[in-house]
Amino acid sequence: MAPKQKAGQKPKPNAAEEVEETFQAVVLADTFETRFEPFTRDTPRCLLPLANTPLIEYTLEFLANAGVEEVFLYGGAHSDQLEKYINASKWRAPSSPFKQFTFLKSTSASVGDVMRDLDGKHLITGDFIVVSGDVISNLPIEGALAQHRARRALDKNAIMTMVLREAGLQHRTKSTSVSPIFVIDPTKDRCLHYEEIDRHPDGDHLARLNIDAEIILKHPELDIRQDLIDCSIDICTPDVLSLWSDSFDYQSPRKHYLFGVLKDYELNGKTLHTYIIKDHYAARVRNLKAYDAISKDILSRWTYPLCPDTNLLPGHTYTLRKGSMYQETGVTLARSCVIGRRTVIGKGTSIGDRAEVHNSVLGRNCKIGRNVKLDGAYIWDDVVIGDNTDVRGAIIADGVVLGKNCVVAAGALLSYGVKIADNVQVESGKRITKTRNDGGVGKNDPAVVGEGGEGYEFIHGEEDEDDDDDVSVASSGLVYRMPNLSLSSASISTLSSEVSNTSWGARSERSSFSADEDSDNFHHDASVSLFDSLREGVAADVVQLELVTLRMSANASDNQVRRAIVTSFMKHIQQLMEGGKGAGPAVTQVFTAYKEVVERTLFDRSKEQKNDQVDLLLSLQQDLIHRNKGDTVLLFTAKSLYELDLIEEEAYDQWWNDERSSKTEEMRAVRSQTEQFVNWLAEAEEETSEDESEEESEEESDDE
Amino acid sequence: MPSSLALTPGLGSFLKCLKTNPIDTSIETLISLLKRRQIRHSRSCATATAYLLRSVISACRTTDSAKLIERVQSVGRRLMAAQPREMVVGNIVRRVLGLIRDEAEDDREAEFALSDIGSESQPQTPRAFDDPALPLDRDSLSFRSEDRTTRPPLTSMFSLLSHPEPEHSLPSTPGSSSPSGRLPGHSPSKDVRAEVLEGIGEIIDELGQVDDQIAAYALDHIHSNEIILTHTSSTTVQKFLLKAATKRKFTVIHAESYPNNHEATHATVSGSASDDDNLGLEAFQKPLIEHGITVILIPDSAVFAIMSRVNKVILGTHSVLANGGLVAAAGTRVIARAAKVHQTPVVVVSGVYKLSPVYPFDFDSLIEYGDPSKVLSYEEGDLVDLVDVQNPIYDYVPAELVDLYITNIGGHAPSYLYRIVSDHYRKEDISF
Repeated sequence: MAPKQKAGQKPKPNAAEEVEETFQAVVLADTFETRFEPFTRDTPRCLLPLANTPLIEYTLEFLANAGVEEVFLYGGAHSDQLEKYINASKWRAPSSPFKQFTFLKSTSASVGDVMRDLDGKHLITGDFIVVSGDVISNLPIEGALAQHRARRALDKNAIMTMVLREAGLQHRTKSTSVSPIFVIDPTKDRCLHYEEIDRHPDGDHLARLNIDAEIILKHPELDIRQDLIDCSIDICTPDVLSLWSDSFDYQSPRKHYLFGVLKDYELNGKTLHTYIIKDHYAARVRNLKAYDAISKDILSRWTYPLCPDTNLLPGHTYTLRKGSMYQETGVTLARSCVIGRRTVIGKGTSIGDRAEVHNSVLGRNCKIGRNVKLDGAYIWDDVVIGDNTDVRGAIIADGVVLGKNCVVAAGALLSYGVKIADNVQVESGKRITKTRNDGGVGKNDPAVVGEGGEGYEFIHGEEDEDDDDDVSVASSGLVYRMPNLSLSSASISTLSSEVSNTSWGARSERSSFSADEDSDNFHHDASVSLFDSLREGVAADVVQLELVTLRMSANASDNQVRRAIVTSFMKHIQQLMEGGKGAGPAVTQVFTAYKEVVERTLFDRSKEQKNDQVDLLLSLQQDLIHRNKGDTVLLFTAKSLYELDLIEEEAYDQWWNDERSSKTEEMRAVRSQTEQFVNWLAEAEEETSEDESEEESEEESDDE
Repeated sequence: MPSSLALTPGLGSFLKCLKTNPIDTSIETLISLLKRRQIRHSRSCATATAYLLRSVISACRTTDSAKLIERVQSVGRRLMAAQPREMVVGNIVRRVLGLIRDEAEDDREAEFALSDIGSESQPQTPRAFDDPALPLDRDSLSFRSEDRTTRPPLTSMFSLLSHPEPEHSLPSTPGSSSPSGRLPGHSPSKDVRAEVLEGIGEIIDELGQVDDQIAAYALDHIHSNEIILTHTSSTTVQKFLLKAATKRKFTVIHAESYPNNHEATHATVSGSASDDDNLGLEAFQKPLIEHGITVILIPDSAVFAIMSRVNKVILGTHSVLANGGLVAAAGTRVIARAAKVHQTPVVVVSGVYKLSPVYPFDFDSLIEYGDPSKVLSYEEGDLVDLVDVQNPIYDYVPAELVDLYITNIGGHAPSYLYRIVSDHYRKEDISF
C-alpha cells in the first residue's frame, strides 16, 4: 500500500489534473490471432480457462485494481458467447467496480480496425488504457499513470505510455522466437525505435536491427533493450486514436502502429514513452507456450493476489495447501493417489487409486481413473480419463473422453468434446478437434482417435505463413514449444477463414522480395499518399507524378510500386463499396480513371513471359484475401483490367497456372469466382484469332 | 485525497461508497476489495467490516433480533469466505452478533418484567416462559452492555460459570424468542436496532483508540536504559514505544522484516513514513529518533546474535488466537524462538479486536503466501523455471513462546486469553 500511495501523490496537483476525468479502458477481447486454434473454434479466446478461471477475469481484475471506471470491451469472434458471459458476470452487477461497462461488437479484422472504429464512435473522453483481453497483471497502474500525466502536462505530444516488464534474457514467459526490441532514450523514457526481430535467424542472415543514424546522432544516451516483456498495457491519450485513423493500413498495435508512428516522428511530432516495471507481474497469454508459463506463474503465486485461492469467480472455493496445491471443496481423492506440487483441482473432480498428479490443472467434475499419470497437463472441465492413461504436457478441453491405456504425449491438444478410444497413442504435438472451421462437426478419423473415437486431426491452414514462434521450435525442448503448437500466423482473426491475413503479413510471407526497411517505408508512404489522392479524386497524371517521385526517392522496385498501387486501389474500392456502390461499377470507375497509373508499372507487354502482369494479379489476389467480398472484387478487377487492355490473356493464363496463386487455402478461395472468367478467356482465345480482343471486350461489357 | 488521480480503491474509497451505494453493492464491493487484497492489515479490515455492518443493520428495516442475527450472519459468512486469513473480519462480525443477542435478551427481559405485571390480563405471555434462559441472563447482560474495555474481566467469571447452559440454548430457539408474544401496544421503549448501532459505534471508536489505550501501559513495561527489540512497522508497537519515550530513555533494535515489510519499516525508523494506513491515523507521527531514542536497524538474520543483549522483545501481530498463539508477520517466530533460547521476555501488543475465538487446528491454513518476486526477482528467468519460491507473509507463533499480551484492557498471560475470548464473544457465535 505504502509505495502505491507515494506514487500517487508524487505529481503536484497542477492545472492539468484539476479536471476530473473518468479513467477509461478499452479491452480488446480478440487479438485477431490464431494461436489458440483449435480451441478458439468453439470459444472466444478470452474465455479460455487459465488455472480454471477465464482469461478475461484476470484482465478485468487488473483494471479494477487500477481504479478504472469505464470499460469498453470489444468482442471479436464468438462475441455472442462473450457477451452472454459478461452479462452474467459480476462486472455487470451493481457492485461492479466499473461505473460503466460497454460491450461493443464489431466486425473488425484487426486491432487497427477496432481502434479506428473506436475513434469513429467518440466514446473516449480523456486518457485511457488499452489492454488486450488476455493480460494478467497485479501492477498498480498509478505510477505509470502519474508519469504519463506529468509528462503530458509538459508536452502535449507525449501521447502514449507503454508498460513493459523487465525480464532476463531467458524467461519462460517471453516469446522464444520473435523478440521485440525497444530503443529507448532513458533520460526521457522515450521510445525511439521499435522493431521485432527473429531470435533464431538461419545461418545466412543474422538478425539485424536497423536504427536510423539520426537517432544515434541526436541522443547522447540510448538503451537498446531486448529483455522486456511487452504486456500490451498502453496508457493512451485520445490523439492515439486519431493517429490510428490517419493510417488506414495499420493493423497491429506494435508492428505497425508503434513502428509507423515512431518512423513518422518528423511528420507528426508525437512521442511515445515507456514505463518499465521491475517489480509486480505483468504478462500476456499470447500463445500456448505463454499459457503454460503463465499457468505456472499463477500456481507459484507470482501473480499474487490473482491466485486460485483468491476465488475470483463467485462460487469458487479454492484453498491453498502446502506446496502450491489448490483444491476446491468437494474433491474426491482416492486414498492411494498422489497429488504433487503445483496442482489445482476443481470441485466434483474425483481421482482414482494410485493415480499421480503433478504440475497440473484439473477443472471441475473430471473423472480421473486408476493408475493415471498426469504431469504438466491442463485439463478443463468434465473430462473423463480412463485407467492407466498417461498424459504429459497436454491441454485437454471440456468434455473430452480419454479411453483406457492411452498415452497423450507432450504438446498434444484435444479440443472440445473429442473422444479417444482405448489404447490409442496421441502423438506429440497432435491437435485433435471435432469442430470444423465453419462451425460444423468434422468427420471422425479413426486413425487419429481410434475405433469409436470422435474427432479428427486439425491441420492449420497457413502453416507456411507463420512468422512467429514456430521458428524457434527446434531449438527448445520444452513442452509447448513444438512448432505446430505455437503456430501462429501474422494476424488472423479467430473469427474464421473469412477474415484473414493482413497485407503486411502477406508481405512477410513473400520474403523472396527484398523486404527491406526502405521497402516498408515506401510501401507505407506510397499507399497512404495514393489512397489520399484517390479519395480526393486527384487527376491521374498528378498521381502518377507523385508516385514516381516517391519511387525515385525510395529507390523502390516495380514490384513494390505495384503492391502500393494495389493496396491503395483496393482500399479505395472497398470504401466505395461501403458507400453503397456495387463492386463492378466501383472497380470500373477506379481503374478507368487511373488507368495510366497502372499501365506505367507494367513493362512486359512485348515479352513472352508476362512477369509484371502476373505479379500485379498476384498482388491483387493477396491483397483481396482479407477484404470483404474479396473474391467478387477480384473477378471484376480481372474483367476490368482486361477490358482496359492492361493485362493480356496470356498473363491471366500464366497467373492462373502460377503455383503462387494457389498456394494456400485462402488464395484459392479468393480466386474461385474468377475461375469462370479465366475459363471463358481461354475458350474465347481458342475460338477467335488472337488480335481481335476488341469484340470480346464488347461482348463482355454486355455480360455485365 | 486527490480524486482526479485514479487511485487504487481501498478503505477510503470503500467508506465513501458505503455512504452512497445501496447496501448489497457495498457488501459485494467489500468482498472484492478483500479478495484483491486492496483492504488488508487487521485494522483496515476491522474498520471496513464494522462500518459495513453498521450500514447493514441500519438498512435492515426490522426490529426482530432473530432476523437481524440471520442477516448479519449471512453477510459475515460471505465476508469471511472472501479472505479467511483476515480473522479480524470474523471477530467484528461475532462481536456485532453478540451485541444483537445482548440487546435482544435485554429487551426480552424488559418485556418479561412487563409481562410480569400484566400477565393476568395477557394470555399470550406465558410463551415467554418457555425459554428458561431469560431470568438467568441478567448478569451477563448488564456486564455486556457496559463498557467492557474498562471493566475488569474478573467480575464476569461468575456470570460465566453460573449459567453456561442457557446461553447455549439460545440459538435453538430463535423463533420462539422473537418478540412474538409481545403486546402490540406495549412495544419496548428502546429500539434494538438503535442500541446495536450504538454498540457498533462503540466498536468503531474502540478501533480508533485502541493504540492509545495500549500505549497507556507502556510505562509499566518499558524501563530506563532497556534494550528493546521489535519487528515490522506496526503502528501499535510504534505508539507504545513513543509513549514510553516521552518519559524514559532506552534503545530500540528494529529488525527490518525483509522482504514483505522492510520498506515500511525503514520508513518508520527514519521517520519518512507517510501514512501507510488509508485512514491517515498516524500521519503526524514523529519517529522515535526525534525523541532521542537510539534506534538500530538490523537485518532479520542478525536477530539471534543480538538477542543476548536484548532486555525485552515487543512484537506487533496480525491476529491472536484463542489458544494464546498468534499469527504475525513472517520472521516473528524466529524472533520469538531466539528470545526463548535467551530467556528474553516476549511481549505482544495487540488490540482486543485482533483476538479471535477460533482455535487453530490447521496452522498452515492461517498463513497467507504472498508474491515470491519479493524473494527472488522475476527477471531471473532460469531460476524461476526451476525453483519453487515461497514467500509466506505470516508466521504462526505458538503460545509457549509468548510471555505477555498487552491489549487495550490490560496485560494478560497467553493462557488467560480464553477468558477474554469468552468475555467478548458469545459461544454460539464462535462457529456460525
